Amino acid sequence: MLNSKSITKRVFRWETFLILLLLIEVLVFGLINPRFLMPRVLLGSINNFMTISVVALFVTLVLVTGGIDIQSGAIVGLTSITIGVLWNDVGMNLYLALVIGLLVGTACGALSGFFVAYTEVQPMVVTLGGSFLYSGIALLITNFSATEAYKGISGFPEEFSQFVRGRIFGIIPHQLLIFLFLVIITYILLHRTKYGRYVFLCGVNKHAATYCGIRTKQIVMSTYVLSGLGAAIAGILLTAYLGTAKTDLGKEITLPVITAVVLGGTSNLGGTGGVIGTALAAFVIGILRFGLSLANVNTQYLDIPVGILLVLAVAIRFSGSNPTVQKFIGKLRRSKDLRKNN
Amino acid sequence: MHKQRSIPRATTSIIFLVLMFLGVGLINPAFLDINNILLSLNSGVVFTIVAIGIAFVIITGEIDVSVGATVGMTAAICGNFVRDGHPFLGLSIAVLVGVGIGVINGFGVAYMKIPSIIMTLGTNGIIRGMIYVYTGGRWIENLPMEFKSLSQAQFMGTFTWFYLLTLIAMILIYVVMNRTMIGRYFRAVGDNANGATLLGIPVKGTKMVAFMLSGLFASIGGIMYTSRVGFITPIAGMGYEMKVIAACVLGGISLSGGVGSVIGASVGAAIMASISRILVFLGFPSDYDNTITGILLIIIVVFDSVIQHRSAEKMRKQRLAAKVVHSETASEVREHA
Repeated sequence: MLNSKSITKRVFRWETFLILLLLIEVLVFGLINPRFLMPRVLLGSINNFMTISVVALFVTLVLVTGGIDIQSGAIVGLTSITIGVLWNDVGMNLYLALVIGLLVGTACGALSGFFVAYTEVQPMVVTLGGSFLYSGIALLITNFSATEAYKGISGFPEEFSQFVRGRIFGIIPHQLLIFLFLVIITYILLHRTKYGRYVFLCGVNKHAATYCGIRTKQIVMSTYVLSGLGAAIAGILLTAYLGTAKTDLGKEITLPVITAVVLGGTSNLGGTGGVIGTALAAFVIGILRFGLSLANVNTQYLDIPVGILLVLAVAIRFSGSNPTVQKFIGKLRRSKDLRKNN
Repeated sequence: MHKQRSIPRATTSIIFLVLMFLGVGLINPAFLDINNILLSLNSGVVFTIVAIGIAFVIITGEIDVSVGATVGMTAAICGNFVRDGHPFLGLSIAVLVGVGIGVINGFGVAYMKIPSIIMTLGTNGIIRGMIYVYTGGRWIENLPMEFKSLSQAQFMGTFTWFYLLTLIAMILIYVVMNRTMIGRYFRAVGDNANGATLLGIPVKGTKMVAFMLSGLFASIGGIMYTSRVGFITPIAGMGYEMKVIAACVLGGISLSGGVGSVIGASVGAAIMASISRILVFLGFPSDYDNTITGILLIIIVVFDSVIQHRSAEKMRKQRLAAKVVHSETASEVREHA
């Protein structure tokens, strides 16, 4: 009895639903356009949604603590332009510039994280201020560059771009492997370490966690540091893939990132969720957009299905806690029981 | 108690705005010219009207990030009809669409129990896509001159009619929200939704109305945008949601609900709108716009939170001290007995 219950619980997990959704998408788009099913095309589609997926992985940690992070887009742009200016105009070694870019992103995350953790200001307000501040700083940094801001800095060495653009055996893109590597790292961090448990505990009940002797402020701040680091990694990958450093690279990723995290089953109220769900949801959204664009749908219309998907998925998830729905389910159960008794 | 806390927050923002203007005036006296001040206030008229609308939603403890797309959509509708020579039809359809978007958001949040940030995030994407479907990705141009000149129509010097309308709306709403029973529902729901339910306040209905008002004011903002800018691109109004939320926060509205007023929202919008003009008068390039906004937002909010935290701690200590004194006297009495 107990065993069968745990099996049904495992089968009816949110992740299973996402995998099913993903399979349906692949099937439908494969039927519409058989070219979609070619491994090279299907696997290569990750190149279109790599930034969002990477950022979403790390933002998951922030949402698990009950916070929100809407500044990652600004950090992506800031990292990118920092690297570009350091390499092109300062004449620094590219790899040193990459390290400084990572540090800059992490520092941005740390600054916002500090304000979130050590003052009573809502995370949304702090990261909103952060998004203005960091995108503003990115714009100021472009003034140090001789290149026009809208053109972006290009001409990076071939091996830098090739590291991200390349494919193993000509089929599996490096980006996919990098993404899987990051998924494993964040999975271990959030689900297999003491630190991860603390992160969850901060989201479930911060006061209880504090009374248990957990340094909640440091834990909360650390999630923003990690999210800044994630945005910096995404900024580097995107710069390498496009071969251009620009300030507005991450301009429109905020909403898709939150969409991916929430669709992945992480509650914005904190305490529940996971990186596997986020990774799957990022693929669901990415493949949906990619498949529709292969099926000749105008790319500018693609926000419509993604928005509908988000609202529907969350409505289904939250309908479990809706009293009207619960009453309805209860009524169904009772009538079933009655029939059984009769 | 509640009233005492909420009014000073808007007042601090007003004082800050005045100090900011005076400070810039010290460096460059030309800034303090009345026409210039009115011009810089007027440049933020669309922000102000959208901020007034979203203030309802934030005060009830929810959030609406779909206003940017709503401004774009209603501007596109209004522009399209005005260009084809049906201005009144265009205005009414734009307003209806704005309210309709509010109804959808409100239904999802209040009745379906979807968290507001996710619901409005979703509708934001859907509406943004709909703008492309509606306009076919093309710009809407060649609006009649009479319609464009509406935004320039002035009343006493450089005081535009648009700004006057916004001010009247703001004062009316302020009076309704503070002097009538129904107006106070918004703050009650935002402060404590469960408590409001126990008092018999229709929480769901209040949230629904808040979202409808947000959509309504966003659509008015869209109409003003059409008249002011004179052409509509598919990305019109993009990013407005974040700027308007920032304006509300600058004006002392708390994102956790229950605290703030529409006056705060308009003052915040005025601060946001004047920053770029102030930069010009101080001789900075406008590239500093976002940086300054971000720094201001963080400083003001952190400062505010530290002060509030301090006063809460002080009150707690006072209460504790009172308790200790009380128990001491009690034990003395017992000893005497």
